[in-house]
Amino acid sequence: MILLENVTKKYGDYTAVSNLNLEIPRGEIFGFIGPNGAGKTTTIKMMGGIMDPTSGSIRIGGVNIKDEPEKAKRKIGFIPDRPYLYEKLTGREFLKFIANLYEVDDKLFTEKAEKQLAMFSLLDWSDELIESYSHGMKQRLIMAAALLHDPEAIIVDEPMVGLDPVAVKMVKVLFKQLAENGMTIFMSTHTLKVAEDVCDRIGIINKGILIASGTPSELRGKTDLVDADFEDVFIKLTT
Amino acid sequence: MPEFIKDVLILLRPRFLSFKNPLLSANSKKDFSRNLVMGAAGLFFWIGIFIISYRTLKYFRRIEGLGDILIFKLLSMLVLTSFSLLIFSSILTSLSKLYLSRDLELVHSMPVSGNRIFAARWIESTADSSWMVIIYILPVFVALGIINKAGFFFYLNTALVLLSLSFISSGISSVLVMATVFIIPAGRMKSILLFFGFTLFLTLFLVFRLLKPEQLVDPDVFSTVVVYLDTLKAPSSPLLPSTWAYDSINESLSGSMQSSLFHSAISWSFVAVILFINILIADMIYFKGFSKTQTASSRVFKYKYSDFPFTGLLPGASRAFVVKEIKTFFRDQAQWSQLLLIGALVIIYIYNFSVLPLEKAPIKTIYLQNLLSFLNMGLCLFVLTAIAGRFAYPAVSSEREAFWLVKASPVKIRTILWIKFFIYLFPLLILSEILIVATNIILKVEAFMMVLSFITVFLVVPGIVSIGIGFGAAYPDFKSENPAQSVTSFGGLMFMMLCAGYIMAVIVLEAGPVYSIFMAALHERSMTILQWIWIVVSFSMVVVIGMFAIFFPMRFGEKGLSKVLP
Repeated sequence: MILLENVTKKYGDYTAVSNLNLEIPRGEIFGFIGPNGAGKTTTIKMMGGIMDPTSGSIRIGGVNIKDEPEKAKRKIGFIPDRPYLYEKLTGREFLKFIANLYEVDDKLFTEKAEKQLAMFSLLDWSDELIESYSHGMKQRLIMAAALLHDPEAIIVDEPMVGLDPVAVKMVKVLFKQLAENGMTIFMSTHTLKVAEDVCDRIGIINKGILIASGTPSELRGKTDLVDADFEDVFIKLTT
Repeated sequence: MPEFIKDVLILLRPRFLSFKNPLLSANSKKDFSRNLVMGAAGLFFWIGIFIISYRTLKYFRRIEGLGDILIFKLLSMLVLTSFSLLIFSSILTSLSKLYLSRDLELVHSMPVSGNRIFAARWIESTADSSWMVIIYILPVFVALGIINKAGFFFYLNTALVLLSLSFISSGISSVLVMATVFIIPAGRMKSILLFFGFTLFLTLFLVFRLLKPEQLVDPDVFSTVVVYLDTLKAPSSPLLPSTWAYDSINESLSGSMQSSLFHSAISWSFVAVILFINILIADMIYFKGFSKTQTASSRVFKYKYSDFPFTGLLPGASRAFVVKEIKTFFRDQAQWSQLLLIGALVIIYIYNFSVLPLEKAPIKTIYLQNLLSFLNMGLCLFVLTAIAGRFAYPAVSSEREAFWLVKASPVKIRTILWIKFFIYLFPLLILSEILIVATNIILKVEAFMMVLSFITVFLVVPGIVSIGIGFGAAYPDFKSENPAQSVTSFGGLMFMMLCAGYIMAVIVLEAGPVYSIFMAALHERSMTILQWIWIVVSFSMVVVIGMFAIFFPMRFGEKGLSKVLP
């Protein structure tokens, strides 16, 4: 479903991502972890079509994002780490804006919007301006918007930042359900517990290079820390 | 060094560094050339003010008996106007600096007392709100000094007294702001202030214009000059800080240093008093007001979800952006005052044509009417450029940090720019056509001039909007707290210069052929083949330049925006 081949991104002389190769099949939750400045957000921005790679190719559902960006983007639900939105729209109006952009059928919009707003506990706030929302509410609204057009893949940067424990639990369950229904999820996170609990496979990136990937138990196997906490595994692999 | 000053300097350090660090960055060369262009434009404007002031003052000086009175009245009005401008500007700046800046949460979490934070912010606010006013009134005083052959003391004293005036206005404003924010939350107060400030300004402007000041130079009303002279000689109130500044400048100009220093001393002692009052009040209520700003809700209206019926026919992406642009535009209270300003401009623009004394002019009326109509076309397009600079140019920057939505959406950057182009084109085109048709009707121009003006405006307006959208996209500013101000940046300057060049090119291309056609009609003679060729080539060139002005800036903007990262 998601295929990254020899993806490199350079900012001048600095290489943020180097020769990254990844293949994520349909229905898999892939966790992308690494220290600050490792290249996670850069990779996510390239996958979301926000930034071009310096070299290499990215395919979403078989579509090369460089050759057919609009077609590839229709297959994605993109959730950035910082929830900047149009503050002068209400939550419901924002969902309508997204629905129009992704050409969601007008007849289905009301039903879908109500469902998403209810799922993310935003129904009571749906007619309030986004400027009055808290950070967590904005994050939930972006998630609701990303799912509105039934994407084939979700690309999400730090999904749990700003969410309360109830919302964190809800998002974890939701991601698992979506993956069971065939949606591919690529998420970067610093919360190793979340990665371990939710992800089928985890990739560890450091200084722009993918240093390890596999299931949590496979990653443990790559170190001598078989029964250790996943934090220790991460530290051992990245230092 | 006393602890108080040390803390204030530490708090001001990030601001100093933000000036210094750009010089060390990788983009410093690019920034340097941009700043050079901006600096050259600023200098050009400064020299322009100087030349106009010099010539006006020299002209006044020649009027026997009345000249000096007029000069000093003008000077007193200038100081009073500057003082009012400084107060208005510092109210808005201190409100932002003291209560609304994004870094305030960080600053208030530091182990520094509220009055020190206030002092640092107040110094910043004073500098930000007054530097431009002071720099651009200085050429008037320099011209005044040269004409009166003033010595070094005049220039030094004027600079210092203007500095004291900016401290006083900033001090008065911050006391007012602190007291008001204690009652009304800062977020709502900014909208209220902007709205009422502009309404007051417009009312005064309209009243002044409707009083027909041009009649003062009309010989028919000359009998009122004695009353006029009495008004000119009337002294200003001694309680106004602007009077102290004016008296000080006036005395230094006439060479009485002692008297001048006395008035300067009054002004500077008041600076000390207002600073002391500020620190006292800041200790009592500044933090309480800031705390209120953090917790108060800024919600004024309840929004009911609705769709615009006419947008149902548009394709998805266009509908999304049209609805979003219209809703966000009208929900931003800062835009209301701008719309009021445009409304007043339109009324005054049309009104000015209705009071033109054409019949008193020595030139043949029909010739003058059509000449004015032709010049009016250029003027109207310049007015439109200013309005497009306020609305179309910031259209891309107004996406602010939500720009990632545009980049991540399954819509081409080109499509989004064209959607924005059409959103701003229709209202601006309708506005320009109303201006041009209404003024032409008032001028009673020939049918030919009416059609020509209508078509020219119809061809040129899309080009101006396109330059606005395109250059706004090529030089966006997504981090700005007020995207409307982005037109004062490098890209905005390029937009203004390009539009001015475009309008002038169209006027120059049309002027010759229009003159030939008009003269031929006036003298009832037919035109030569050469004249016909000239006409066809000129008008074709206008159409070609028009097409170029529409498509090239949009492509330029698309290329620039594609490289910009959210």
